[in-house]
Amino acid sequence: MQRNTIEPRNNWQAAVEKLGFGFHSSDLPYWDESVYYSFGITEINAIEKATNELWEMSLAAVQHVIDHQLYNQFAIPAFMVPLIEKSWEQDHPAIYGRFDLCVKNGQIKLLEFNADTPTSLYEAGIVQWFWLQDFNASKDQFNSIHEKLIAYWKFLNRFLHNNSLHFTCLKESLEDLTNTEYMRDCAIQAGLNTQLVFIDDIGWDEMNQQFVDLEETAIQNIFKLYPWEWLVNESFGENILKAKNEPYWIEPAWKMILSNKSILPILWQLYPNHPLLLPAFFEPGSLTNFVKKPKLSREGANIEMMQSGIATNKTGGEYGEEGFIYQALFSLPEFDGKYPVIGSWIIGQEAAGMGIREADGLITDNKSRFVPHLIS
Amino acid sequence: MKKTKAIKLVLISATLAACNQPEKKDWETNGNSKVHLRSDTSAPYTRVHHNNAGIGTALLWYYAFRPMGNFNNNQYQRAGYYSGGIAPSSNIGKNNFKGAVIRGGFGRSAYSVSS
Repeated sequence: MQRNTIEPRNNWQAAVEKLGFGFHSSDLPYWDESVYYSFGITEINAIEKATNELWEMSLAAVQHVIDHQLYNQFAIPAFMVPLIEKSWEQDHPAIYGRFDLCVKNGQIKLLEFNADTPTSLYEAGIVQWFWLQDFNASKDQFNSIHEKLIAYWKFLNRFLHNNSLHFTCLKESLEDLTNTEYMRDCAIQAGLNTQLVFIDDIGWDEMNQQFVDLEETAIQNIFKLYPWEWLVNESFGENILKAKNEPYWIEPAWKMILSNKSILPILWQLYPNHPLLLPAFFEPGSLTNFVKKPKLSREGANIEMMQSGIATNKTGGEYGEEGFIYQALFSLPEFDGKYPVIGSWIIGQEAAGMGIREADGLITDNKSRFVPHLIS
Repeated sequence: MKKTKAIKLVLISATLAACNQPEKKDWETNGNSKVHLRSDTSAPYTRVHHNNAGIGTALLWYYAFRPMGNFNNNQYQRAGYYSGGIAPSSNIGKNNFKGAVIRGGFGRSAYSVSS
């Protein structure tokens, strides 16, 4: 794994905007092509293998949580348990997730799993692919995200309820809309009939007890870029279980287990000393160097890093109400004062590619940049 | 090879292309008595890029998805989004049954999902 600095393309802003990538910059640059990372094929094969293995372990962990009714440790409201179990037992459609990995000195460690609403899909699947076409099309990249998404939507199509697949996200965020519309693009290419409805435009039809779109057409299948923990705490939350047409929610409700950082101590209990895992617990116990993470949080918020009893890093935010977990510290590798995290995608049941977020510190937050990669 | 062999985008490209078309103002010309109202201010997107040459494509894309609706019986009704990427049949509400549908029960938790 090497960090390489280069000159960005002269017209890089126009080049990425042509792809529909409108959030490449805000107050700070987000897409950064003045840098790329190169990997040997052996390293990539190891990341791919680790991702597939972590996926298998994650599924076993879900089964364990359900078998032992550990929902309290996940702060999951009781009214959601029947849907979680039903969606698991009936294998409701699911399509993706992103493991955040630390890759250092030949080791790969799971930092967390974004299993419900992972973003940066578009940057990883499309923007860095087109960057490589311009930079050196003869090079390879760990990135079959696009073709795997289309293939898996084709596979899922036969399991969906009739009629269309709705897609929903917040309307205030161009980033969320881009990720959602990209997913919809892949579904269209897979032959699905799709509709976009923003999350706050979703209606509840009291008479027929079902969710509807702006046309008042019943929602039978819906891909949501909106976390379960937000859905269930909002005023329509309990309607999710009342819906008579029993729509498929993608990602399904059982992803509430995997998208919660409580899964990290559970994985450690199930697979103690596994080389892909870091020790993680519900209490700090004997850990001296650790990271305290809220069970539910986003973009590196409310993280606290402790080394020998001293807080060395701390981020602000509004998360933590549900409690925390404690994970042994495994510092990100440093390259010229920059710290990369590998986001490794699972699509369907397979590792599908990766994206890299580079931060200026040990905590990857919402100021970190997306940088492309290639296989050397 | 571990990379996708070829990439085609059907929706996002089409949407952007549609954004560059002159806006169709059919409510000004077709004699429709309904008053259509833009509600741009209801969707203050963040992270929109403006370039020095004018309005960026990202902003144009936002315009493609700005909500539209109309006033009917002194009530404003949301009817869809301006977008070439959305089927016309789903873009303007023609359903006369506007019964017991409540909206706005989702979407109040945050402004972005980013994770």
